[in-house]
Amino acid sequence: MKELERLKKDWKTNNNFPELSKEEIYTFLHKKSSSIVKWIFIISLLEFGFWSLIGLITKNSEAQQRFDSYNVDAIMMPLMVIGYIILIYFFVMFYKNYKEISNTDSTKSLMQKILKTRKTVKHYVIFNLVFLFISSIIGAVIEFSNNSDLKLTISQFENTNDLYIFYAIIGGITLIAIVVLLAILIGFYYLVYGILLKRLKENYKELEVIEVE
Amino acid sequence: MKTTNENEFVTLVQKHQNLIHKICRLYTRSDAEHKDLFQEITIQLWKAYPKFRGDSKFSTWMYRVGLNTAITLYRKSKRRIQSQNIDDFSYKIPQAEPYDDTEDQQLELIYQAIKKLNDIEKALIFLYLENKNYKEISETVGISEVNARVKMNRVKKKLKKQLNP
Repeated sequence: MKELERLKKDWKTNNNFPELSKEEIYTFLHKKSSSIVKWIFIISLLEFGFWSLIGLITKNSEAQQRFDSYNVDAIMMPLMVIGYIILIYFFVMFYKNYKEISNTDSTKSLMQKILKTRKTVKHYVIFNLVFLFISSIIGAVIEFSNNSDLKLTISQFENTNDLYIFYAIIGGITLIAIVVLLAILIGFYYLVYGILLKRLKENYKELEVIEVE
Repeated sequence: MKTTNENEFVTLVQKHQNLIHKICRLYTRSDAEHKDLFQEITIQLWKAYPKFRGDSKFSTWMYRVGLNTAITLYRKSKRRIQSQNIDDFSYKIPQAEPYDDTEDQQLELIYQAIKKLNDIEKALIFLYLENKNYKEISETVGISEVNARVKMNRVKKKLKKQLNP
């Protein structure tokens, strides 16, 4: 292709760029990177912080203190221990993935490692959502069986034979609240990573297409 | 205070800065973006510098980090994208050299056609223009040599079609 040959010739000879001094290059070394990897790591740390904060905020709430008075440690303690073990596992994975990413890898390998990091974050979010869902169900069951106000209301409904309707309404409201919360979190998650990884995914797809062709 | 290591690195980057400029020329559409990407590539090179053992040429090592930054790591600033100027889309031909006008226009058209390629295709063209063989291209991009060859032929055809519709 003669056009490309002409371009090649120009490419070698035409170096009409602003010449940067050593001082200018030196200042770049101390500027902050805006790398996508850095952002993924920051977001994963923020997510980690967010869920830890949720745990701390609810720990001293009135509802939690009332809940603690039900003496259900046999159920809650194992749940908490499992939760923390998994949290530590994810934190180690975040750090490991982050350290493994190297800008001297081949382009494809670098993309694979970034997508792996994102996958870990995705699993972490899914774990949190599932954990939140299971904890909510367990919590609701414990609350229903121990809360004296609720017990009184249930007994009133028992007398009017409308107990199933009462359960259906309470169950429905709880389910809607959980679904809305999950939808907000999933939407937020896709928005953040969608924006961040759109170009990378397109480029990765381009490389994958080459391989299968 | 500058360390010996920093001095050594800055000297190398300054010596090979045209290579970074060339990557920026392909991947950015305004002077502001060009500067941003140049800065990010320098940061990424500095980050990777402890791993540079000197067993490969500094310039060869720069290709990989530079292209990885442009294709994968660099996040374009929205504010900057919105402020891009239409004049920035065309590659500026130096005025001092006595070029033939027709040739100038043709070159400009080729540069514009390359700007329309996707990020991976630009990388292949860049490595081709830098006289890299298919083995080096495949190692840098991370695809097989055969696929690099196939893809390069497609890019050439695509460019030809764009230039001779």
